[in-house]
Amino acid sequence: MRWWKRFTSPVVPVKDFVADYERSFKFKLNKERKINDLTLLVLDTETTGVDIKKDFILSYGSINVQGNSILVGSSKEFYLKSKRLSKETIKVHELVPNQETISREKLIRTFLEDAGNLPIVGHHIGFDLALLEKAGRSFGLRKIKNPVIDTMELGIRLEIGKHADPNRINFSEYSLDSMCIRYGIFPDDRHTAAGDAFLTAQLLIKLLKRARELGILTIGELLDN
Amino acid sequence: MANVIVNRVKEFLKKYPPFNFLTDDLLELVAREVELIYYEKGEYLFEKGEPAKKHFFVVREGAIHLTEELAGISHTREHCDEGDVFGVLALLGKRPYILTAQAVEDSLLYAIPVHVFDDIMQKNSRVSMYFAAGFASGQVVVRTDLSQSQEARKLFNSPAQDNGLMIFSGQSLVNYSYPVVSCQLGDTVAMAVKKMSSRGVGSIIVLDGDAFPKGIITDKDLRNRLIAKGKPYETKVEEIMSHPVRTTHTKADFAHIYLTMIKHRLHHLLITEDGTDQSELVGIISDHDILLSQGNSPAVIINALQGTSDIKEIAKLRDQSERLLGYYLENEISIDFVAGIITEINDIIVQRAIQLAKNKHDTSFKEASKVKFCFVGLGSEGRGEQLLRTDLDNAIIYEDVPESLSDQAASYFHLIARDVMDILFACGFQACPGEMMANNPQWCQPISIWKRYFSDWIRQPDQESLMMATIFFDYRPVAGFHPLANSLTEHIYSEIEKEKIFLNFFAKNALLNPPPLGFFRNFIVEKSGEQRDKFDIKLRAMMPLADAARLLMLSHRVFGINNTFKRFEKLAELEPTNQELYLDAGKAYEIFMRIRALEGLKNQTSGRYIQPESLGKLQRQLLKNAFFPIDELQKIIRVRFQLDYFAS
Repeated sequence: MRWWKRFTSPVVPVKDFVADYERSFKFKLNKERKINDLTLLVLDTETTGVDIKKDFILSYGSINVQGNSILVGSSKEFYLKSKRLSKETIKVHELVPNQETISREKLIRTFLEDAGNLPIVGHHIGFDLALLEKAGRSFGLRKIKNPVIDTMELGIRLEIGKHADPNRINFSEYSLDSMCIRYGIFPDDRHTAAGDAFLTAQLLIKLLKRARELGILTIGELLDN
Repeated sequence: MANVIVNRVKEFLKKYPPFNFLTDDLLELVAREVELIYYEKGEYLFEKGEPAKKHFFVVREGAIHLTEELAGISHTREHCDEGDVFGVLALLGKRPYILTAQAVEDSLLYAIPVHVFDDIMQKNSRVSMYFAAGFASGQVVVRTDLSQSQEARKLFNSPAQDNGLMIFSGQSLVNYSYPVVSCQLGDTVAMAVKKMSSRGVGSIIVLDGDAFPKGIITDKDLRNRLIAKGKPYETKVEEIMSHPVRTTHTKADFAHIYLTMIKHRLHHLLITEDGTDQSELVGIISDHDILLSQGNSPAVIINALQGTSDIKEIAKLRDQSERLLGYYLENEISIDFVAGIITEINDIIVQRAIQLAKNKHDTSFKEASKVKFCFVGLGSEGRGEQLLRTDLDNAIIYEDVPESLSDQAASYFHLIARDVMDILFACGFQACPGEMMANNPQWCQPISIWKRYFSDWIRQPDQESLMMATIFFDYRPVAGFHPLANSLTEHIYSEIEKEKIFLNFFAKNALLNPPPLGFFRNFIVEKSGEQRDKFDIKLRAMMPLADAARLLMLSHRVFGINNTFKRFEKLAELEPTNQELYLDAGKAYEIFMRIRALEGLKNQTSGRYIQPESLGKLQRQLLKNAFFPIDELQKIIRVRFQLDYFAS
């Protein structure tokens, strides 16, 4: 009868940290605030695959960016406990052997605490957020409400323009690898969540500099796609 | 556990000094706290005169120029690229930037918070040394690339053999420049300048017909004595040269050269065939050569001390010298040199303090402020052996003044003494528990009173007089009018001449301190109290040697040499039969000084009480071996002053 219960009572008990997170959105982000004055949370996840329904998070990395500065001290790197063994999990654990692992609850708690109502940044960030939302569902998380900046979209907007014809964009040029090369960032530690988050953060500060030159100064202007 | 990001930062920093001197743990501590900042080409990081930021920078990629604007034109002073460290003044002096930093390429920089590094500098003398070097060159930048950093690593890892440090120990010669760019007496300035310019040097030596050096002309002389004075280019070189020149001989070791330059604030020292200015010129050493050759600079600390009136700044510089001291001691640099440097620094602090006090009080004491005086150091400071900021012993001697002025002079010098002592306390010096300090009115007196004090001590050598004599006989003029101190010395010698028996009492006193080792060659340790089971290195090892040296020098009527180890050197010269013993005694004293200072630095104490077990086996053996001369010396003293037949 479990499935029935879930459908008829869609509200699972909400954990306190989820409630705290949702409360933080009472304070609306002022769109007039300068991007430079804001802290942004850059994150990346490594997953078992690319299917939102089937796949799940193996590891998570994040770091804060403030203005033109990346705060190394704020960086996080987590590996998730996983009961299911798969080719991908083995691969990840081989990649980084003997990593300590944490529970899914600890991951979601930390993520929500770090995120608060800050803008979240990532490359292809929609996918990471969807999996985080899924992972948080059983703790009562319904939706990640933070403003979101996708470095891929930002790159396209800055290089081609806001109203670029999607059919004419060569998306392979906007992968994290390609963009790193183009922006002179040496791709260290690719395919670890924290490594990719760090690369994304470096990409972000360079993109933001360019955005400023194009007159994009406030967070409102940055989010207005 | 460090995450991938922190590790990435560590991997980078580890390649470059000073980070390569850090242990993995410390490096991680640093890496965790850094920020990675992006500056686009053309952006300014900081501008000259801006207050220091809370961090300094390491270039991860890109390039930064440090520039200075002169007469509206920007001059690049340093070019920093990958791995270069800059903005270090924030770390060292917390003073405003002296140069402007601008990104000349898109640049990523690590910003390292000062608070993290402050701690590390305290703990790691190599790191502080490294920064001292950067500071020393007058620039904030220390240039390195990977190959240089490996060089540096080699340099720092084997301090015993590297040449950069060997020169400190006085075992190697300094490389001097030759041939020297020179001109002749009678040449015109225009000719001299042409030579300087074609050879790209900032100074030229003026020679006479025998090729003996007569003077030197530097860029500064051209500026001050020629151009500013509106003199023509046809002026003869002898009219604007600085002279006489300071010279030394080709075999002078580094310590000697360096101390000479520091003492006389020389920028250039000439090397001649026989060391005088009456022989042929063979080379020149500039302070720049010295800076380059040593990678660190007490000279800069001294310069900074002379340039500041801010007591906090002075205190900070004194703290900095202590780090230098730690480095010197760890690297077995000769005590002679180390003590010379630290004494010079302490003396300058006293001189600065007196100047500050005079600035404050002179206007209210118009007449008294004209009275000549001499500030003297006593005890270990007087012997120029005070490495740590242990208790201050000092005094003021001033001219005799007419009755009508005597009260005013007394209050004036008391005020000066009080202010000077307050500044010294602020710089971390400890008060003398016996109050043998200039701010005690008893020890701030006109010369006639001082002569009476010494006469009394010499004529009535009771226990207290002898105790005073051990401290006050080691006086050394530190500031003010030195002849006052010299006239006191003459007085003392004539008194001793009259009261020969005094030396016998003095000798007896020198034997009072108990021997350092028990019958079974074990250390004699304190039996009770706070220092129980500890060995008193000052009382049992150093004082017997210092007392013996002082006594023997007095008996030879030699004055003007205060260092205990230098006194032993002199004694070895005076008494060839005991030469070996005296040289050993001098060496022993140096060993004690080093062990005590290291112990004191390690535990932030006076270093006086040592736990024998805390010393390594080797150190313990070294210490025990160093005790031998004490016993031998005491035997000589006993015989020479017939103490066995002499009842007090």
